[in-house]
Amino acid sequence: MEAVQVIDEVGAPAKGVPTPASPRATRGVRDTATARGPRRRARRAWLTAAAFLAPAVLTILLIRIIPFLGAVVSTLHVRDGVGLLAEERFAGLQNYVDLLSDPLFQATLGRTLLFNVIINPLQIALALAIAVLLTRRVPARGLWRMAVFIPCTIPLVGSSIAWGVALRADGPINGILEFLGLPAQPFLSSPSQALASIMLVASWVGIGYWMIFLVAGINDIPDELYEAASLDGAGGWRSFWSVTLPMLRRPLLFVLVADTVANFVLFVPMQMLTDGGPQNSTTMLMFDAYRRTYTYSQPNQGATATVILTVIMLIIVFVQFRLLKEDRG
Amino acid sequence: MTRAAFGKFLALGAATAVMLAGCASDSSTGSPSDDWSIPDEDPTAKINVVGIIDPVAESMDEVIAAFEEAHPTIDVNYQYVPFDDLNSVLDTRITSKSGDPDVFWVDQPRVPALSARGYLADLTAAFDGRLDGLVPATVESSSYDGKLWSVPIANSTQVLFYNKDILDAAGITPPGSSGERVTWQELKELGAQAQASGGADIGLMVGQPNRYYQLEPIPVSAGGGVGVTGDDMLTPDFTNGGWVDAMTYYGSLFEDGVSPKGITPEQTDATFLAGKTAFFVEGNWMVPKMLDATFNWGAALNPVWDGGDPATPTGSWSLGINPFSQNKEAAAIFIDWMAIDGEGGYGKHRAFAELPANVQGLESYLAGEAFTSSEGGKQAAEVIAEETETSAVPRASTVGYIEFEEIIGRAFSDIANGADPAEALAAAETELTNAWKQYK
Amino acid sequence: MTAQPTAVGGLQRRMRVQRVILGVLAGLVGLLFLLPAIWMLLGSLRPGGDIIGSVSPLSWNTLIPDVWTLDNYAALFGPLRFGQAMMNSLIVAFASVVLGLVITIPAAYALSVFRFPGRELVFAVLVVGFMIPFEAIAIPLAQIFTQWHLDNTYIGLILPGIGNGLAIFNLRQFFLGVPGELHEAARVDGASELRTMTQVYLPLSVTPVINSALLIFLAQWSAYLWPLLVVSDEKIQVAAIALSRTFSDTSFNFGQMFGGALVISVIPAVLLLVLQRYFTQSVATKGLK
Repeated sequence: MEAVQVIDEVGAPAKGVPTPASPRATRGVRDTATARGPRRRARRAWLTAAAFLAPAVLTILLIRIIPFLGAVVSTLHVRDGVGLLAEERFAGLQNYVDLLSDPLFQATLGRTLLFNVIINPLQIALALAIAVLLTRRVPARGLWRMAVFIPCTIPLVGSSIAWGVALRADGPINGILEFLGLPAQPFLSSPSQALASIMLVASWVGIGYWMIFLVAGINDIPDELYEAASLDGAGGWRSFWSVTLPMLRRPLLFVLVADTVANFVLFVPMQMLTDGGPQNSTTMLMFDAYRRTYTYSQPNQGATATVILTVIMLIIVFVQFRLLKEDRG
Repeated sequence: MTRAAFGKFLALGAATAVMLAGCASDSSTGSPSDDWSIPDEDPTAKINVVGIIDPVAESMDEVIAAFEEAHPTIDVNYQYVPFDDLNSVLDTRITSKSGDPDVFWVDQPRVPALSARGYLADLTAAFDGRLDGLVPATVESSSYDGKLWSVPIANSTQVLFYNKDILDAAGITPPGSSGERVTWQELKELGAQAQASGGADIGLMVGQPNRYYQLEPIPVSAGGGVGVTGDDMLTPDFTNGGWVDAMTYYGSLFEDGVSPKGITPEQTDATFLAGKTAFFVEGNWMVPKMLDATFNWGAALNPVWDGGDPATPTGSWSLGINPFSQNKEAAAIFIDWMAIDGEGGYGKHRAFAELPANVQGLESYLAGEAFTSSEGGKQAAEVIAEETETSAVPRASTVGYIEFEEIIGRAFSDIANGADPAEALAAAETELTNAWKQYK
Repeated sequence: MTAQPTAVGGLQRRMRVQRVILGVLAGLVGLLFLLPAIWMLLGSLRPGGDIIGSVSPLSWNTLIPDVWTLDNYAALFGPLRFGQAMMNSLIVAFASVVLGLVITIPAAYALSVFRFPGRELVFAVLVVGFMIPFEAIAIPLAQIFTQWHLDNTYIGLILPGIGNGLAIFNLRQFFLGVPGELHEAARVDGASELRTMTQVYLPLSVTPVINSALLIFLAQWSAYLWPLLVVSDEKIQVAAIALSRTFSDTSFNFGQMFGGALVISVIPAVLLLVLQRYFTQSVATKGLK
């Protein structure tokens, strides 16, 4: 209601505010379309843009970008010795060569890409399905939205520990499976199932988070479009493809990019549930980088792994932007 | 270049300048000096202490209060850090060279690694002649390369707990708390028997599955050594016959269902207390928890490898001083009070919650309620006295300990989950050799 | 005309059946996500070791306690000092949201509504910003903050959380969807960009602003590594770190850990429930009437 009022106000010619042709153009004018020369107008525009952007850009530069550049610089150095008694010397791309020629690291790279190729579309498809479901007129849908959202509010360490107990060989999940007549699964103790189990935990935590953004996006779609589609004879499924999905392009891009980043930097479940095992089957790039930096205290190599990870993310995100690009200028 | 973009570049430049200025000012405290000693009179000082003991829930506040009463001119600012995160915090703070914290908890097996990194002040001179009141093996664990790097405030050992009700039901004679030890191989059979006819879900469980601290005794007892060898102690040595045999045995425990897969170290105590486990090899800290047991229990000497020598885990926490600390004298007085003074202030004011490294403190510990109020408790006291005296085997003393513990731990985990022991150990050896390159 | 009532009746019946099916499905999905949390909740109401003790074999006792107790919560808010930690988390998170919105909303607005050369470059810089894993920069950043005496301060905890690139991204996506005519109309009418943003765009953006606020809130609420490295004083320490007090190196109280985790989760969950009421319909629905 309020929004309509505002639009009415803005749309109508307001009294007391001089129109461009008014002889009283000088009094109380902030910035009208053709008041002063174009150069003054352009400078104002840039100043305004700078003012709007500066605090955020400055914060991000200072707190994220510049420290990261420091980390990048450290990847070009190597230490002789360890800790405080080590001497750092410039070594060019030595760290990258060392890591990328290590078969264990190569396997980690491949595994990370595989993990993300599977989990990202999976989580987003599920989040979208649930978002669609919980934007229909179902009773207590606010409650169900909160229910799906709750897992992402629980500290990840706590969730991981809880799932670690649940997925035990003699734990409740296997208990339920056996109750349903299915065989008990090794889950986290099997090299073939451990990664899938981690995906399960990560999805239980993440889906609710993305669902919220997609719910907002779905709510944003005007009813008229659906009415028009149903007049055209489209059923629920068709209108999903022809109305919902195209209109969800912008929020979907956000969810896709954000989910990709979230899954690439995920490492707490691996650390708590499997320590990268069994047999390295759950060792992902981020976990490897974390371990090198914080467990082995090898910050240069850890930073190298992180830079490689960030570069991969950048490439993938760039592709995602291209795919879901808008033709809006 | 547009105005907006130019403005951004200015900001970037300014920020970089600020950052660099900040980074440049960090080495203001100069290089650490070793020339100091414990004074006769207390200095007036304020020291920061970083520890892993909760101030309220684990009574560390009371310990600090008692110290400040005994040494009123020294002000202690105790800061608690979750023990899983101790290393990240120390990495951040010590490398800033500001001298903060002055004192910190040091896990004894990491002493060589920390001293190699320059994180510890050399305490040999300052504590010369003061260490007689400590159990000698604990002082050894705090030493490396002929020097003392930290002062032990705690020790540890293991006990073979058993559920007497289950053993009685299965007709098993419990192993004794003195005299002859059961062998690991026998223990596995007894465990299986308890599962078959004693109502046990679990035959044999260890307190910290897949951890080097817990499992080291098995290959050591089997004659395979501690896992590291060489003059520089930087040569992996866990693919020999003793290790492969020991790990084959360990893997078979899980494969044959005597030990449960997937139970993490955090869950084992509660699992034993649930009453369905026959045998449980766990540390001395389990004894007070057994006061809550709802079943009859006993304690026995640790198992030994058939034909081998007895071996038990040992070592625990100690206190170290930051080489850049500005208050080394006060820090040393604090450590002296905590570890050496009388029964050791740390143990005394926490009701001897941990196995003391202080000899007098050990006596008080073993006279506590947990060890005197039940048959099992008395047996445990006997076992602890025996094991700390005769069978304790320190962990591998190597500067590369952190990588070693991490990599071998993963190999243990893989073996428990069904991997071939020889292959898993060989893979670990390759990985460790790689990780240790930085030390050579 | 006479055929219609039957057709309408049939359609209505079909729609009711559909609604019932959807309702059941929604409930199932909700319960599926909720079940592990319910298990944690019931576990927190049991004596510390009972959760592990009852895990196997599967029975009603695995879920439903046989001994109920509030001891875990008493311990959390007593000796474990959870109350103070929660207070600190709340202060940091809310302050971060307020400050964060103040700087991210204008930034998102500028990146979607203004046209200037280098706009996409700036946006790219922000995107790269949120892709940098925090663990990569945490230690050096913590050392710098300590040098600048920002350690053990609320400001030190708040600052890294306000420049949230994801929040800017989210708002920018929404602002891109606001019809350009609104902006034109405001400009023609003589409104400054600030007025346009606050009086035209913001009232339409309640939902994305709430979502971005949630983003910032959750990021700060769940932060662990940063408070660990930058805060050593108990009085300032946050809840996520306080949760680690439930596990020591030899004692592990699952009841307390689950309880603490749920206490931490209650605040954002309730926030979402409450704020959902303000989720508004789209700008396009109201249109430019």
